[in-house]
Amino acid sequence: MIVSNYKSDVELNLKSKTKYAIETENLNIYYGDHHVIKDVSLSIPEKVVFAIMGPSGCGKSTMLRAFNRLLELNESAKVSGDVKIFGKSIYKMNPIEVRRIVGMVFQHPNPFPHMSIYDNVALGLKLNKLVKSRKELDETVEWALKKAALWDEVKNKLEKPASALSGGQQQRLCIARVVAMKPKVILMDEPTSNLDPISTKKIEELIDELKKEVTIVIVTHSPAQAARVSDYVAFLYLGKLIEVGSTIDMFENPKEKLTEEYLTGRMG
Amino acid sequence: MQGSLRLRLFKEKLFLLSIAVLTIATVLPLFHIMFSIMIQGIPVLIKGGWGFLTGTLAPPGGGLGGIGPAIVGTFILTFLASLIGLPVAIFTGIYAAEYPNSLIGRATKTLLMVMMEFPTILVGLFVMDLVVLPMGSYSAIAGALSLAIVMMPYVAVYTDEALRNIPPKYREGAFSLGLTRAKVVFRVLVGLAKKGIMTGVLIGIAKVAGETAPLLFTAGGASRVYFDGLNRPVGAIPLLIYNLVQQPYTNYHEIAWGASLLLMIIFLALFLPIRLSLKEVKL
Repeated sequence: MIVSNYKSDVELNLKSKTKYAIETENLNIYYGDHHVIKDVSLSIPEKVVFAIMGPSGCGKSTMLRAFNRLLELNESAKVSGDVKIFGKSIYKMNPIEVRRIVGMVFQHPNPFPHMSIYDNVALGLKLNKLVKSRKELDETVEWALKKAALWDEVKNKLEKPASALSGGQQQRLCIARVVAMKPKVILMDEPTSNLDPISTKKIEELIDELKKEVTIVIVTHSPAQAARVSDYVAFLYLGKLIEVGSTIDMFENPKEKLTEEYLTGRMG
Repeated sequence: MQGSLRLRLFKEKLFLLSIAVLTIATVLPLFHIMFSIMIQGIPVLIKGGWGFLTGTLAPPGGGLGGIGPAIVGTFILTFLASLIGLPVAIFTGIYAAEYPNSLIGRATKTLLMVMMEFPTILVGLFVMDLVVLPMGSYSAIAGALSLAIVMMPYVAVYTDEALRNIPPKYREGAFSLGLTRAKVVFRVLVGLAKKGIMTGVLIGIAKVAGETAPLLFTAGGASRVYFDGLNRPVGAIPLLIYNLVQQPYTNYHEIAWGASLLLMIIFLALFLPIRLSLKEVKL
């Protein structure tokens, strides 16, 4: 009921944008016998920041990993239902193709510690053969580091190992690594949960900047962060989609009692 | 009250003392071995001089000569065994780490563990049956194959462990960049596990450099001629020691002590760097 309202609502708001970046249809995810995501149908419009919010352990990260088929690394995970990227089912695509369109930033900053700062950004470009020349590679790496607001801090030490950077810098390096591949969607799994407030602020400013060109789906357990960065928000509780809508509407006027309890800190 | 406390303190001291004594008893044989090898071996090396490393075996009862063919043989056998064993073992380790839940992956892990503890003399017998009997002669290649089989489980198990110890966030990160499984493994994970894999490689090499049993029925031994082809018998230091000690000549016993010291030096030169670098393997 709420979901369909929301859909028409989004359609009205986005007359010029008829495409959805991601749609899920009756998505169910199981780990063995454990039913983690229960019948979630969502539509995520293009070029917005879409937050998936909920208490720890409600299945947010699991659902996010279904969007780029990273869930398949876990052999016990089973998925039913469908996920579409720009109208095309990801299960009719090669997972490698899906992951080139849908990039991901993780909860723990994970630049490859044995590679240089430069190589971390260049790796995906090189191995996916996305650039034709050394010059183009250099230019794209610089472009991506600038996009991730990291260039000024690292331009003189591109050959230093990535592990020498601070946590916040490492996370921005991971964003640069993703941005370099020019994905259409970036999934972010609690990207600031291990960072200090200043680094968090930088990442959030970055998200605001990036959404001009890509769709961002961000998982967060913090209602405050969802309120700060997102245009739309979905509230997930125990694997069920409780409520979804524009961020302003949901925070000002939650339709469900559970949502209200979560937003006001009485639950979660 | 006071009495029982004193008793407890006494028990505590007794306990610590007994642990210390037992620890010393455990490591004492090692130091005794090293000490007696040095006491007996150093005079031989001094007396034999440079010629001991390069010369060939003296006749019974006549001087020291040298153990050159055995030294060269040990290096050749170890090199050939690495050439055969390392690629196979590293790929096996990668397979076991990448497909841990598949039937073959699980079986591989178990079999490697069995292989590690397998009596090495049986490996020698197996290679004798497989290579030596059809060829009609002991050979360097048979010895190397035998050593390769002994080496492989160590390298494979270390490779497997090193890859499994990589935090999953790096694996996820690599896959999320749209890389194929082969590229994830060879361009990212192997680099991350480099130190662990190198440790396995060095332990495997150190292990086979000192092995005797797998060579008994395969390499044949040669102490008067240098290496002269893969299909010809070849010497090895442990094999030479084994043969010399059984002879009734004093000069052969002296040579055996010298050879033992050299073998110990080679082993420690391979092993000490491993122990020192092991600390860094933890991610």
